[in-house]
Amino acid sequence: MSCPAGFLRAMIRFENVTKVYEQNARPALDSVSLEINRGEFTFLVGASGSGKSTFLRLILKEDKASSGSVYVAGQNVANISSWRVPKLRRGIGVVFQDFRLLPQKNVFANVAFAMQVIGKSRSIIRETVPEVLKTVGLEGKERRMPHELSGGEQQRVAIARAVVNRPGILLADEPTGNLDPITSMGIMGVLDKINQNGTTVVMATHDDDIVNEMRRRVVELKNGKVIRDEAKALYTSMIPVVGESRRLKDASGEELNRAQGVQL
Amino acid sequence: MRFLFILGEIGSGLRRNLSMVISVVLVTFISLTFVGAAGMLQMQINQMKGYWYDKVQVAVFLCNDGSTAAGCASGPVTKEQQANIRALLDSPAVKQYINDYQFESQAEAYTHFKEQFSNSPIVDSVSQDQLPASFRINMKDPQKYQIISETFSSQPGVETVSDQRQVLERIFSWMNGASVAAVGVAAVMIFCAVLLITTTIRLSAFSRRRETGIMRLVGASKMVIQLPFILEGVIAAVVGALLASVTLWLMAHFWLNGDLSKQFLNTPFISSTQVLVIAPVLIALGGGLAGISSLLTLRRYLKV
Repeated sequence: MSCPAGFLRAMIRFENVTKVYEQNARPALDSVSLEINRGEFTFLVGASGSGKSTFLRLILKEDKASSGSVYVAGQNVANISSWRVPKLRRGIGVVFQDFRLLPQKNVFANVAFAMQVIGKSRSIIRETVPEVLKTVGLEGKERRMPHELSGGEQQRVAIARAVVNRPGILLADEPTGNLDPITSMGIMGVLDKINQNGTTVVMATHDDDIVNEMRRRVVELKNGKVIRDEAKALYTSMIPVVGESRRLKDASGEELNRAQGVQL
Repeated sequence: MRFLFILGEIGSGLRRNLSMVISVVLVTFISLTFVGAAGMLQMQINQMKGYWYDKVQVAVFLCNDGSTAAGCASGPVTKEQQANIRALLDSPAVKQYINDYQFESQAEAYTHFKEQFSNSPIVDSVSQDQLPASFRINMKDPQKYQIISETFSSQPGVETVSDQRQVLERIFSWMNGASVAAVGVAAVMIFCAVLLITTTIRLSAFSRRRETGIMRLVGASKMVIQLPFILEGVIAAVVGALLASVTLWLMAHFWLNGDLSKQFLNTPFISSTQVLVIAPVLIALGGGLAGISSLLTLRRYLKV
């Protein structure tokens, strides 16, 4: 058993976690041990089927580990009774590739929805939602409907909804998968800003440009195993750093700078 | 806030599934009307049984002022005749056939009469001395009625000896048959109602899976996610139950207490207020069934 101090520092902690969906099949996660600290920004990379989504689902207690333990904020999720799972999930925000906004609600209502359903008062909602929309760069777009927004703006709404209840963890499952590179950089700016406010961010992605640009911790999964865990790393350790990064900048230097401006 | 939110969710759910909700209302309405009708038939049987039906089998009616039977030629029953009949009842010859007997005076007869015919206009036109006093006999073997009848019919002061069960039993068996039929129809309809509610809730859960998915992710409690769906089914079923209750009340008020009680003056009928006792039962039954079937449906079709 590790010391309690380690538990407190680690926001997410996997201890020899194996997840088998089907008997006889290759496990989706194969004895993964990993710690993600409070306030860290971690990229989860790897091919489709490498276990990234399973990793995120285990944190949310959407699935149960076949063996090993998953700790979230020092608590073993296996010991959380089903009626307390909502409380666990209130501490975790989630963003998806497909945004998942409610099409018949406007921007404000979409974000407010996340507060309404956990019983926040109207006055707190009226106060908090505009603040969060400002954080994600959607000031003045409260009354827009989702179909009137661009993909990037829709994803910002989804991020606002994920963080409006101030979770300690933000899980992003390929949040830029449907977006063009420039818009993606804008989204990364928003995620970075949220991370700098103290939220632990775990982002599963295929987007090598983004990983290379951000230079954060990279955990690479392959066939359910962690094959690389590097700080300030690149998408793949093989590809030359400079050339890859430069390619993006050369292609759209000006717009990229604008997108990065959101971070500041 | 959460309460208002849940109300809003219910409203939007009901609106989105309006045609399904209406069919749930109608099916529960019909099925519970049949359940209620069966209940009313049983209440009516109890009303008709009156005070004595379940206690005794044979009644020996004594002569009163208005008696026209041969045995009553000498006028109303005298103290002496009464004592003779009582002595006969206690004699070993009769005693071997009966468990016990009770005497019902004219005053008691009047009390029981008023109770039984409380909803009938006839109650005002009958006075105490028009009703006969009687001995009510509980038989060891009801089949031996003939023996008692032969023994007492010829006694002075006895107007008639009757086996009330024989008169009423045929009506009751018809009414019991009708209630069994009503319950049978009701069972089929309730089965339909449960299936309809299940389908409605399933559709509703499917059409709102985006919302519920997000609710789950942001940590809404199981109750907040499920309650709108459950209440949707319960509200529809309760509306159906209310319609059924109103229908039954109207039936009792305008048909039983109106037409029928004027046509059959000698038959006591249940009152429309008595029918209101059925209403809470129907509402509880409708609401409970809907609640349980929606809960079971949600377990399968709505992840929380």
